[in-house]
Amino acid sequence: MSVASLARDAHGEVDQLYIETRELRLQGFLLFLISDCVLFASFIFAYLYMRNSGQGWPPPGIPRLDVPFAAWNSVVLFGSGATMHYALENFKHGHWMRYIWFLLATIVLGAGFLGGQGYEYTHLIYGEHITWAGSGIFGASFFTLTGMHGFHVFVGVCYLTTLVLQSAAGVYTRGKHFGITAGTLYWHFVDVIWVVLFSIFYLL
Amino acid sequence: MNPAIVERLGAVIAGIVVATVSFYSLYKDWKTAGVENNVFKLMLFLLGLGAILAILAGLNVIGFTAPAKGA
Repeated sequence: MSVASLARDAHGEVDQLYIETRELRLQGFLLFLISDCVLFASFIFAYLYMRNSGQGWPPPGIPRLDVPFAAWNSVVLFGSGATMHYALENFKHGHWMRYIWFLLATIVLGAGFLGGQGYEYTHLIYGEHITWAGSGIFGASFFTLTGMHGFHVFVGVCYLTTLVLQSAAGVYTRGKHFGITAGTLYWHFVDVIWVVLFSIFYLL
Repeated sequence: MNPAIVERLGAVIAGIVVATVSFYSLYKDWKTAGVENNVFKLMLFLLGLGAILAILAGLNVIGFTAPAKGA
């Protein structure tokens, strides 16, 4: 079935503007994600450069990060990527309730990841006395990169919550759901960025 | 039980589930075409890779198993 035959609004009328602009919207959104990739890449390369310029890593006085907790929290975020993928697949196949449940599961897992990050920050700041401004390169780069990523996850959770509300209001149809596709792309993007951050901060 | 063991166990079990789901979805969508689907395939592959890294970290295979360079 073609996009043209499916791209109908909630009243069943064909949305010509949507058909004509869908590819442009997709390209625009992908360009936005690429620009965000460049932003993260600049910070990541700056961190790696500074890390390799020093005598040793982590710097003296800085304890090792909690790998088991980070691994668990990472799996929570990666799991949310899987549930988001299934949310989109179910929407495409017309399984509306399954779509909503998978979308809600994604929101819960995303919020869980943010909670885990908050717990880790609390432990580092109050337990280990590692701060953004007072712990040299390590504190500055760790809190900047993970904080920037956490902000992206927060924006993603807000976006997905909006999708739930819009879906409940009947904004999206099987042939007209670019908002859900963009949400899925964005959520996968924050997952993939975390794969890199998890590797460079906890595994290397 | 030591919380670290619980976290490692959780990471390994949930990581296996996520990696399986990611690679199965990738296998299922392999023949789909178009920019959007190709981006999804790339993302699913990287998601599965991330889950494998989390499994290995949970099993203590990678992630600070060697002493610090400055130690």
